[in-house]
Amino acid sequence: MLEGASIVVEEGQFVSLVGPSGSGKSSLLRAVIGLQKPLKGTVACEVALSDVGFLFQDDALLPWNTARDNVALGLTLRGKARREALEHADLWLERVGLGGFGGRFPRHLSGGQRKRVALAQVLVRQPKLLLMDEPFASLDAIVRARVVQDVAALVERERITVLLVTHDLEEAISLSDRIYLLSRGPRAHVTHEYRTALPRPRDPVRARTHEGFAPLYEKIWTDLSHEIDDIQ
Amino acid sequence: MNPRYAWARQLTAFGVLLAAWEAAGRAHLLNPMYAPSPSQIGATLVELFGSGRIWTHLEATFTAALAGLALGIVAGGLLGVIGTLVPLVAELLEPVMTLLNAIPRVILAPLFVVWLGIGIASKVALSFILVAVLLFFTVAGGIRQVDRKLVERVVTLSGGRWALVRHVYLPSVAASVMASLKVAVGFAFTGAVVGEFVAASRGLGYLLSFAQSTYNSALMLALVVLIMVVVLVIFAVAGRLERHLLRWN
Repeated sequence: MLEGASIVVEEGQFVSLVGPSGSGKSSLLRAVIGLQKPLKGTVACEVALSDVGFLFQDDALLPWNTARDNVALGLTLRGKARREALEHADLWLERVGLGGFGGRFPRHLSGGQRKRVALAQVLVRQPKLLLMDEPFASLDAIVRARVVQDVAALVERERITVLLVTHDLEEAISLSDRIYLLSRGPRAHVTHEYRTALPRPRDPVRARTHEGFAPLYEKIWTDLSHEIDDIQ
Repeated sequence: MNPRYAWARQLTAFGVLLAAWEAAGRAHLLNPMYAPSPSQIGATLVELFGSGRIWTHLEATFTAALAGLALGIVAGGLLGVIGTLVPLVAELLEPVMTLLNAIPRVILAPLFVVWLGIGIASKVALSFILVAVLLFFTVAGGIRQVDRKLVERVVTLSGGRWALVRHVYLPSVAASVMASLKVAVGFAFTGAVVGEFVAASRGLGYLLSFAQSTYNSALMLALVVLIMVVVLVIFAVAGRLERHLLRWN
């Protein structure tokens, strides 16, 4: 459970929440979109809920809908006409690298492809704020690197504000402008805040070789280790 | 053994069995009173259709079975939905349904005859009760098994109640219903035939009971064969429907 967290996400920024399991990172994201109520305090979101996209850890696509219908659902649930929604769906499937896969059911797609469909389903709505709850955790290393690259490029292109929850320090540093480190639960709180000084536009795979990467990694890792050791 | 030719071996074995049965009959090794030969059973079937007297019985059984099936699916399904949505209804309904599920429901047949007469109503009722209880559990279970993650996904895409029903609950429950459709069809015919067997003036079950009272084994076996063919045809249709509707699975 998270207690006393003051986290600010400014427009156009890519912000990550990093911390050990049980620090309440996911609960915070879920509170922003209204899937869960905070016990105390408030979540102030200047963006309308319908302009917030949520990318889950699981792809959670409707198994009885084709990839195309799954993406179009993002628009039809908002009241767009089906035909128009399908046109946009095709466009976005193309953008996430899945042109020609629209007719497939989720069962017949690989884990990486399903993740891309889920991404298209969220981005087709042109969200202003994108919340991601360890979205890449279930992917294997190589697929993951490619998906992360594409997400970073699309998010930058569409100028979407992002709040990412992750266990992965490298992922957080290579993608973010700002990182919040959370302590371990049960009374978790924000212990540190960092700014990454890596240039944009950014390629998250190559960002790892940037001169600013290693020192920041070292710093966050030290803080995180202390956090875990203190409690143990 | 190549598994691809399993059907050929099965067919051959069946043919050999039939031939042996026929030969034993012709050699007067079998009493036709108990075990009429395949050719006699075949002749009985031909006579049933040739004379046209089978149609009224087929019609009666099909009408009762299909009416019971349709009503049972609708009523059982609705009760399943209400039972999961309204806690009080669930509380009161569960024990009754569990009890009905535990007993062999065909024991209600004589009661239905007393209540509803020997006409088609008592057969529809038996068919209905067999199917409805099955569907109640199928639908209630289907709703409970709906994936929470899919619900949350639709909610975060600004889907309301109706969107949840349409995009998550309905397809999810439809999949469970399709999966138990074959069993439901079998139940519907069981109900109709058993109901007719108990008391009726028409139907395959009635004909069966008539054959029994006249020690007509050839007619009984002919009817068994006929009912098997009917149910196999319906299974094939249901199977195709299932494969089409659940092609995403």
